[in-house]
Amino acid sequence: MSGPTLDSVVTRPTRPRETPLGIAVRSIMRKRSSRVAVVVLGVIVLLGALAPFIAPYDPAAQPDIVALKDLPPSLAHPFGTDPYSRDVLSRVLYGARLSLTIGILATIVSLTLGVAYGAIAGYLGGLVDAAMMRVLDAFLSIPRLLLLLGVLVAWPHLSIGALVLFLGLTGWFALSRIVRGQVLALKHAEFVTAAQALGASRRRILARHLLPNLVSPIAVAATIGVAHVIVLEAGLSYIGIGVPQPLASWGNIIQDGADQVAQLWWLSLFPGLFMVLTVMMLNILGEALRDVYERRS
Amino acid sequence: MTSPLLSIRDLRTWFYTESGVARAVDGVSFDVGAGETVGIVGESGCGKSVTALSILRLIQPPGRIEPGSRIEFEGKNLVTLPDAEMRRIRGNRISMIFQEPMSALNPVFTVGDQVAEVARIHAGLSRKKAWDRAVETLALTGIPAPEERAKQYPHQLSGGMRQRVLIAMALIMKPALVIADEPTTALDVTIQAQILDLLVHLQKEFGTSILMITHDLGVIAETTSRVIVMYAGEIVEEASATELFAHPHHPYTEGLMHSMPHIGHDQERLNVIPGTVPAPTNWPHGCRFRERCPYSWDLPEREHPPLYDVGTGHVSRCHLAREPERRNHPHEPLVVLEGVSAA
Repeated sequence: MSGPTLDSVVTRPTRPRETPLGIAVRSIMRKRSSRVAVVVLGVIVLLGALAPFIAPYDPAAQPDIVALKDLPPSLAHPFGTDPYSRDVLSRVLYGARLSLTIGILATIVSLTLGVAYGAIAGYLGGLVDAAMMRVLDAFLSIPRLLLLLGVLVAWPHLSIGALVLFLGLTGWFALSRIVRGQVLALKHAEFVTAAQALGASRRRILARHLLPNLVSPIAVAATIGVAHVIVLEAGLSYIGIGVPQPLASWGNIIQDGADQVAQLWWLSLFPGLFMVLTVMMLNILGEALRDVYERRS
Repeated sequence: MTSPLLSIRDLRTWFYTESGVARAVDGVSFDVGAGETVGIVGESGCGKSVTALSILRLIQPPGRIEPGSRIEFEGKNLVTLPDAEMRRIRGNRISMIFQEPMSALNPVFTVGDQVAEVARIHAGLSRKKAWDRAVETLALTGIPAPEERAKQYPHQLSGGMRQRVLIAMALIMKPALVIADEPTTALDVTIQAQILDLLVHLQKEFGTSILMITHDLGVIAETTSRVIVMYAGEIVEEASATELFAHPHHPYTEGLMHSMPHIGHDQERLNVIPGTVPAPTNWPHGCRFRERCPYSWDLPEREHPPLYDVGTGHVSRCHLAREPERRNHPHEPLVVLEGVSAA
């Protein structure tokens, strides 16, 4: 068939494929600070993941509660031992594993809730939106830590699973605000009307056309959310209502030496260092992601 | 004549705003035959885009299509069709080409994905088959190296290319009717001509009917066989394209034609129609063009003009049909006519 002639069309030379993900990764790797963040986080995640293979001791073993307790760092115990004669290096490595897992799982819970809640409110709009936002206001008005303290004081011996759940349940309010705002702004975009005009259902429009446009703000919220949960969990463990002994999390290792911080400095220094590093790097990464997406929009 | 593909009767689409009821489309009736290209022309705010969106039932609250309006398409009244059935028509039997080729494409998906999605929704094709069909359709719209282009994102394509992608999305299901809402307004003039050629070509190829919505009489002249002129939510004139350009009847149509720049005419300024379209919450009584009309006299002030028959297949909503000689005397002093009662 004879269409309009092809050479009559103004074309640009074909460029290599640029996926949104590719663009994000490339611009993150271009900045030195975020490159460092990626590497440091990678190392910490790897250490946590490989803890069972690289930890020199069993993190819960108390080999000699009299002779081996409170030892300062040495070759045999690079991070020293705690008042129960447990090896702090092993506990910090296992702690990385647990703290990161809790951080990531709790964030998955809050992302799911936050995205669903915000997207539904924004997409339906009107009275539904107004009602959902007032409920959210109520949640937002209670500080997260207070909410968690209340829960954990009411049910003292919570399992780790329940802890994750509650950390997640209290972490989605701000994100759902963001998602709702974005959906509200995007739902009148012409490509949404166009998708409707071509026969897409509401669910399809929300899932296929709106949410993929929110990947960047969600990624930012996720990164910073993990950092938040790590700090919260450490705080709760520190005051003894987070991760139960003998499990190791960064918070409860610090707690083990809390009454003699000046003498047993290695008990707060090493887990503290890991935690600060992780949180800092996550925040740097989150900022870098935010830059990418703000530049694009 | 067999029954037309699309038959609109007394379409009223009103918006219930805080400042009153905006009667954006207020009693519009017209037909589009199979394989026919019909143009709707008018200024911004005259109701042409709302008419288009009403056909696909994409009117968002506070707007609604008033009960009693009928949009007959392939034997169904689209106004009362259940949502699920309406979705099967959109993009499949009737599709739409939008004005802004940038914003009508989703920025986070490849254009191939977006064209293929339409086929996946309506034909239930597998990912692979839908993709192949998308590439074929992109090729039909004259996109060079369609396999490569399909893998690109909207921001990597030029405006003309993006408009071709939108055309491919609209045509992939070979719909019976394509509504083109200002398809070339956002494009360079040279690209405009190419896109119009493409539409005309594809229309011949597929036998698709086109409803071309535009404010540009040039686009109308180039593509359509029949023209509907809209003003203030109503049809004010309808005729074949040749008839309309040769003998415009309604003063508004005349005004539109005069306001087109002509090559060779020594003109310092463009002619304009004085004033603006009145607010849709408050259309004037009687003739809605009265305040801007160079021929108005007191009859139009009182009586809402019907569509007068002014030639073969040519109708005009202007009282001049009764007293054609008034056209020679613009702005004559008002005369009270005998035997006409205030409506």
